[in-house]
Amino acid sequence: MDYNFGILSVKVQVTGTKITNVSIGAINDGGNFRSVSIDQQAIPLLEQEAMQAQSANIQSISGASYTSAGFIQSLQSALTQLGL
Amino acid sequence: MGTVVTFDVYPGEFSDEDLLRESIESAVTILHDADDVFSTWKSESPLSRLRRGEIELDQAPLVVREVLDLCEVARSLSNGWFDPWSIPGGVDPTGLVKGWAAQRALEELHRHAIDGAIVNAAGDVASFGGPNGSSKFRVGIVNPAKPQTLACIVQSPGAVATSGEYERGQHLYDPFARTLATRSASATVVGPKLGLADALATALVIGGRDVLGAIVELQGYEGLIIEPDGSMRMTPAFPLVR
Repeated sequence: MDYNFGILSVKVQVTGTKITNVSIGAINDGGNFRSVSIDQQAIPLLEQEAMQAQSANIQSISGASYTSAGFIQSLQSALTQLGL
Repeated sequence: MGTVVTFDVYPGEFSDEDLLRESIESAVTILHDADDVFSTWKSESPLSRLRRGEIELDQAPLVVREVLDLCEVARSLSNGWFDPWSIPGGVDPTGLVKGWAAQRALEELHRHAIDGAIVNAAGDVASFGGPNGSSKFRVGIVNPAKPQTLACIVQSPGAVATSGEYERGQHLYDPFARTLATRSASATVVGPKLGLADALATALVIGGRDVLGAIVELQGYEGLIIEPDGSMRMTPAFPLVR
């Protein structure tokens, strides 16, 4: 099992109706920490799906566990970035 | 590899935003502390030392016993399909501990007068309340064949956990076949608490339909599997919205 949930940095977004906080963590193969930033470029690809999520009135996404790198591509990331 | 935990807090009419921010920080600390104790990556974590036989269980922090006791419960309820003791390299509660820690983080937020909150730990979701104080949260379930789309939507009873190998590749250990293997493409378990739901989702994706039968027997927990061919199968009271 090559997986843990080390959390390194915290980002807080405030929107009109809710407070969203994203904790990003990464542990590389050597066990040394590195930081990962959310790639804004990935968002437009997911925007359409996230908008559909909004129209479906969902507030969160459940799926197989992603890594920090996988989060960037995830629907949950798109929801969070769009402040939905 | 690390992951990402997302917090969504829906303040109520009387919420104090500064207090809420402090509470979120406390919740994040709960996750850090759990990682420090249970990490199998950190060679000096209490769990790593326990796995190497350097310390006994009664020398580890009390939470280690709490988590391993819950693992025992999950192993029994899943008819052995969730079995941290079968994994080569020593006892590994990873399949439960992330959900357990997220549930604890949520309980920190629950101390405040807010409409609702969600802690999403890498796709395992613990919540209470709802977006406007009356309704429940609705959670999308990722389509394992096309992870940027949804397979369905559920109404959360508090915990929604999903297991699969489409994000990180093969990593789930079948305790009966004694090899890395899963029968389903994705499995979701909903219920009151995320620790047990997380463990049961792991059991369900590994064991497939056989485990669905065990979950039917559990009061408060419901399961859904999505097969490699895209077909879905669920327990009778699974809270599917569509």
